[in-house]
Amino acid sequence: MFRFQSLNEDCMLEEEDDGLIEDEDEIDQFNDDTFGAGAIDDDWQEEHKRLAELDERDELGAGLGFGGGGMGGDSDLSTSERPSSTRIPSSVVHPPPPSSLASLSFSSSSSRLPPSDVEDRVGEGDLAESLARLILDADPAIAGVGAAERPGLPPGSSGSGLSALRGLDQPRVLPQPSPILPPTQPHQHPQHQLPPGLPASGLPPSSMLSYQQQQHLLRRGTAPMGQMSSHSIWENSMGFGPVSVTPGLLTHMEDNPLMSIIKEVGHPKRAPQGRNDEDLSERAPPPRSSSPVIGSPPVRAVPIGTPPKQPMSHALNHQIHHPTAVHVRAPVQHRYPAPFPERLSPNTLLNIANSPLCRGPFPPRVGPVLSQIQRAQLLNSQVAGFPRGGPPPLLPGGGGFRPFFGGPPPPHGHRMGPPPPHGPPNHAPPLRHNTTHLHPQHRRMLTQRMQSRGGDRRPGMDRRSRDPYSNLMTQKEKEWVTKIQMMQLQSTDPYLDDYYYQNYYEKMEKRQEKEQDSSKKEHTTKLITPQVAKVEHTYRPVQFAGSLGKLTVSSVNNPRKMIDAVVTTRSDDEEKREKQVWNKRRQILYTVEKMYSLLLEVQDFEKCFVQAPEEDREALLEQHKSNTEQLCSSLREKEWDDRVSDEQCVMIMSVRKGKRLISRLLPFLPSMQAAAVVMAIARNLPALAKKDKQDQVLCWLVEPVSAVIQSLSSASLTDLLQELQGSEGQLATVLHNKFGVTLLYVILSEGERMQSSDPNCQLMDDNRWTELVFSVTRELLSVPSSSLSPPLFTPPNLLSLFSRYVDRQRLELLQDKLQ
Amino acid sequence: MDKVCCCLEVDTHVIVTGVMSLYAHKKQQQHKMNYVPGTASLIDDIDKKHLVLLRDGRTLIGYLRSIDQFANLVFHQTVERIHVGKKFGDIPRGIFIVRGENVVLLGEIDMDKPCDTVLQQVSIEEILEEQRLQQQAKQETEKVKMQVLKDRGLSIPKADNLDEY
Repeated sequence: MFRFQSLNEDCMLEEEDDGLIEDEDEIDQFNDDTFGAGAIDDDWQEEHKRLAELDERDELGAGLGFGGGGMGGDSDLSTSERPSSTRIPSSVVHPPPPSSLASLSFSSSSSRLPPSDVEDRVGEGDLAESLARLILDADPAIAGVGAAERPGLPPGSSGSGLSALRGLDQPRVLPQPSPILPPTQPHQHPQHQLPPGLPASGLPPSSMLSYQQQQHLLRRGTAPMGQMSSHSIWENSMGFGPVSVTPGLLTHMEDNPLMSIIKEVGHPKRAPQGRNDEDLSERAPPPRSSSPVIGSPPVRAVPIGTPPKQPMSHALNHQIHHPTAVHVRAPVQHRYPAPFPERLSPNTLLNIANSPLCRGPFPPRVGPVLSQIQRAQLLNSQVAGFPRGGPPPLLPGGGGFRPFFGGPPPPHGHRMGPPPPHGPPNHAPPLRHNTTHLHPQHRRMLTQRMQSRGGDRRPGMDRRSRDPYSNLMTQKEKEWVTKIQMMQLQSTDPYLDDYYYQNYYEKMEKRQEKEQDSSKKEHTTKLITPQVAKVEHTYRPVQFAGSLGKLTVSSVNNPRKMIDAVVTTRSDDEEKREKQVWNKRRQILYTVEKMYSLLLEVQDFEKCFVQAPEEDREALLEQHKSNTEQLCSSLREKEWDDRVSDEQCVMIMSVRKGKRLISRLLPFLPSMQAAAVVMAIARNLPALAKKDKQDQVLCWLVEPVSAVIQSLSSASLTDLLQELQGSEGQLATVLHNKFGVTLLYVILSEGERMQSSDPNCQLMDDNRWTELVFSVTRELLSVPSSSLSPPLFTPPNLLSLFSRYVDRQRLELLQDKLQ
Repeated sequence: MDKVCCCLEVDTHVIVTGVMSLYAHKKQQQHKMNYVPGTASLIDDIDKKHLVLLRDGRTLIGYLRSIDQFANLVFHQTVERIHVGKKFGDIPRGIFIVRGENVVLLGEIDMDKPCDTVLQQVSIEEILEEQRLQQQAKQETEKVKMQVLKDRGLSIPKADNLDEY
């Protein structure tokens, strides 16, 4: 089944492919739509040939013809050193008629496209193609920036390139500090090769065309031009400074027509392998799905700590002023995504630009170094305040890209305070951003000082200006190092990290305040270290709604606890009950212990008394009494209640030790209390018996209890017997228990003894005794012998007792049972 | 950077100043800002001629071109200066990159200040020869000393590798 299906699918695909190949003309449209923007179906060999051709052309033309070619001076245009920008403002005012197109740039364009090309192709699809080619040849900025935001220029600006170029004068279009790249200042000879990425660098052919015409051409759509190789595009055009882009065109880069053309025509391929090494730092890592907070830190192609190649002053600012917990990402170079899938950083472009220029003794790799030197030279020249006998041979291209890739214009102070070339040397350079810490008064003082020093800068400056290698370390790099140093000073708790420095600093400040109460208050500079807010990081395991359990994702940013130890507590009720039980038991034990200690003292009293000397005896006696008292009181439930508490006794006797205690205690108790205790015992015998199942120590109580019983009066004896029989079935339980039986017999025997010994015994006065005995006998008879537990001892006079109450027959039975 | 007293120059000039108060606003020779006021930073020393003494005893003089956070130094047009007694010799070395941990001290050379020293510059070969002789003499004395100690049953470890401690 599946196989069949797949076969079908395969067949389908083949059909589709065939269908695609059929219509050559429509391929690109389809490609565009189907396979995404920029998809080209091309033959690389053709491109290569084209490349070669272009290369040759470029080498001949030296590229600048583009810029010069534009506007009309034919003879002038041949010199490749004149920027088109100078021409543009002055010459073309109105959109030139199409017929004049031919006479213009193409005649002198270094691309060597015959003017007839344009003429012939006007109105043909090929025009668009050639136009596109020219555009791309001339101005890599388009391709490179493409959709880059062209700040400021409204699309509605007049179609001529002029006004737009004039618009370029405005700083917003030229975010680059003007002194470096003054392309639009006519009075100045711009450098030999302006940075190619300049917005001012233009597209001569496009500048020829009127806005409307361009639009027209673009909209016509282009036949697939084939892919322009990146090499040609970038190499040829990069160094060609005066190439100017019609801002109208520029602004329409964002529009679809041109974009589509560019897409169709070609996009720069990946830079060749030779350039990859240098691009590594600029190359953005492939997008990762992990977020910076949850996931692993992003992979950096270049380790953190590499000096930047790009301006990162804004990042510096941000870091110092608003240190965040987020890791530092790569410097923001790719803020303006290129319209093409591959991203070419400005440095890449720079390198490419430099490579043709550096051809010859220098391999392309030398590019960046040279660019540094170029930049340095440029700086030197400007710092010195005069053009250095012609522009430096190789202009740094890096500066040129700033307009594309730097958002807000970096403050002028970022440079080494280069005054505009035509400006007076006394012009005070603006303060740098890293002096924002300074007190405003201080800043004023500094600016004043700097201005005043403008004059005496000369002698020192000359030497430095003569140094061709100065300023190799760019401003950005200096800032970067400073930033690192400042970061090392960051602290959440300065008084903890740097206590002595803080105190010292405060002392110094105080001293200075005292000393310099006058106007020179802010004389000294202060280092204000960045303060990092203390952020409490509590670990919260990452959880998503609806997921079961916790994520297994663990990374540097969110280390996950390996063991999730969760405290489980039992329910409150159970706990309470258990607690109560334990508490009670503990209390009982405690009471028992206390009583025991007292008891022991009491028991030892005699010995002590005998041994103690005369004078101590009274004290001992006193103590003995108090002890006894205490013992008695401990049996009472409540302090004020004289009666022995049943509960207390039972509680005590629930513990093995307690029973022992009672047995030892009984002899020392006063008779009343002893009787009460025995009563309690008798009363609660079943319970006691039950509790005693494990211990089986109730029998310890027999002796003392019997001793007590023997001292009992008849009435109390009766009571006792009654208690013993108290509730229903109690007697049965009693009989089951050894102690109970023994107790019963003791009681009975005592009763008997009473009766037999003393004829005036009041035992028989009421019928209780008789009845009780009767019930006992009844019970005894009814209870089977097996369940009747043997007593500890059988008092001998029981039979005689029974004989009084029962008949002979039963007596015999009882006799049997008793044995 | 505080300027360090250094009297070894003949053709360049060395300034001898006291340690500048960290809180005093520095004299700006350029219109450059003091990047990190209140602390010492090498940023202000860039593109100036410096003399650096390394841990292995070498003396380098060159233009400080670049630094980094570890105080690794990039020197341009470096010259290694060998001193033997009252003579010295310069060996041009080109570009040096010095790892920060190997720096003992580093001081700016003031080109303006007139320098009068008693040191006499000689050619490279001569100074190398002198150095070799000096090393030789030193080794011999060391050898003798070791021998004497050995005879007495003592041994003192060589101080070569003290750095590694």
